[in-house]
Amino acid sequence: MGSCLLSVAEQLFKDLQRTYTQTKQIPDDLLIALRFVFGPCALQALDLVEKHSVKCVTSPSGRTVFQVLGGSGRLYTCYSSCHYCPCPAFSFSVLRRTESLMCKHLLAACLSQAMGLCQQEQVSDQQMTHVLSGQTEANT
Amino acid sequence: MADILEVVFRRFASGPVTRDVRFPPDVESNTVVHGDRDCSRCLLFLAAVTAATDLGLKVVFFTQTPFESLQVSLRGSVPGLKLEALKNVKFVYAKTLEEFLEDVASLHELDSPPSLIIVDDLDRYLHRPIGGPLQDDLSPVAHVAALLHDTAAFLTQILHGRGENKGPCRFIVSFYPECDGGETHAADLLLSVLERYLQVRCTLGEVRGDGVTGRKEWRVYLSATRPLQDQWGIQAWQWCLVVRSSGAVEFRPLIDGEQEIPEEQNISREDVETDNKHLS
Repeated sequence: MGSCLLSVAEQLFKDLQRTYTQTKQIPDDLLIALRFVFGPCALQALDLVEKHSVKCVTSPSGRTVFQVLGGSGRLYTCYSSCHYCPCPAFSFSVLRRTESLMCKHLLAACLSQAMGLCQQEQVSDQQMTHVLSGQTEANT
Repeated sequence: MADILEVVFRRFASGPVTRDVRFPPDVESNTVVHGDRDCSRCLLFLAAVTAATDLGLKVVFFTQTPFESLQVSLRGSVPGLKLEALKNVKFVYAKTLEEFLEDVASLHELDSPPSLIIVDDLDRYLHRPIGGPLQDDLSPVAHVAALLHDTAAFLTQILHGRGENKGPCRFIVSFYPECDGGETHAADLLLSVLERYLQVRCTLGEVRGDGVTGRKEWRVYLSATRPLQDQWGIQAWQWCLVVRSSGAVEFRPLIDGEQEIPEEQNISREDVETDNKHLS
């Protein structure tokens, strides 16, 4: 997946952030663009955003990470500086087949951040270590 | 990390270095090292020592296997080495992938964060014993690489915020995807996943070893993991790494097409003479 498409995606998130901040709506042309760039997972991601399934977790050290509650009830930890999700779709469609930029969980995290719709949660630094290392996913 | 590798190459250069290793600003310097396992381990160790002593950086070095011996001699290669500076290198002997992930994830808790994170032999953490079958699951390698990337990005912010001129935080990972015939595809796939998160590749290939003199020679290639635009010019840098029988190390930059390695007989004679001087 080329870096050009990634640049397009980042521009889309910026446009979404600007527009949603002003109007609290996503205009049709942006929806079409999201569907064009991300395929069917765009609507699935928007569904997760609407259900407030994305949580932004922070700790006193300043470390931040996103947790997305999937449709199955499992919690997926996504990092803020790069694209990774422990879900099977990310492993298959993004890493192995390289046919998608991101899975619905990662996209939901990006959209929620752009729209300011993340739930906020504070944890201790030790709890953050567990979240980052994936131990909280294993326990859910 | 590529910038620290360049410091290593210059530090141990046998002559003047006229060409800088320079990547476009959008290429992060985090580096994957692959190729000869023993040579990689030496290179990682030299990088840790150079960062700690010459640059005064804090280094965290993850490995499963303690260093009992090295092909290189630090005393022979670094005259006047200050051993107290090596206290800046912290070795972490995580045994399992879970331990390793937790150790990396906890780096944000440190009062004094490292500027360099080194991971020796990543595939051992991915439950692959030497010579064993490759794992087909891509998620663990992506998880490790993404966690390292996110950790380095966070520590970079912290280091910049403190204004101590110790940043950015970089990481370097050695990974050995060599395998038998049918597993080539799996190895390439794992490496391609790793290179999503690390944008510079350092490849080491042994050119020759001389059983008589004990001298060994490797080619070192440094390049971006994605093609650079044509206007950037240089796509890769080549160096020749020589480890003499005394354990002394030297790097020599190679210009494209240059045949840097002299004739076999000359090497032997020259090396024996040089190495005898080192030993006397």
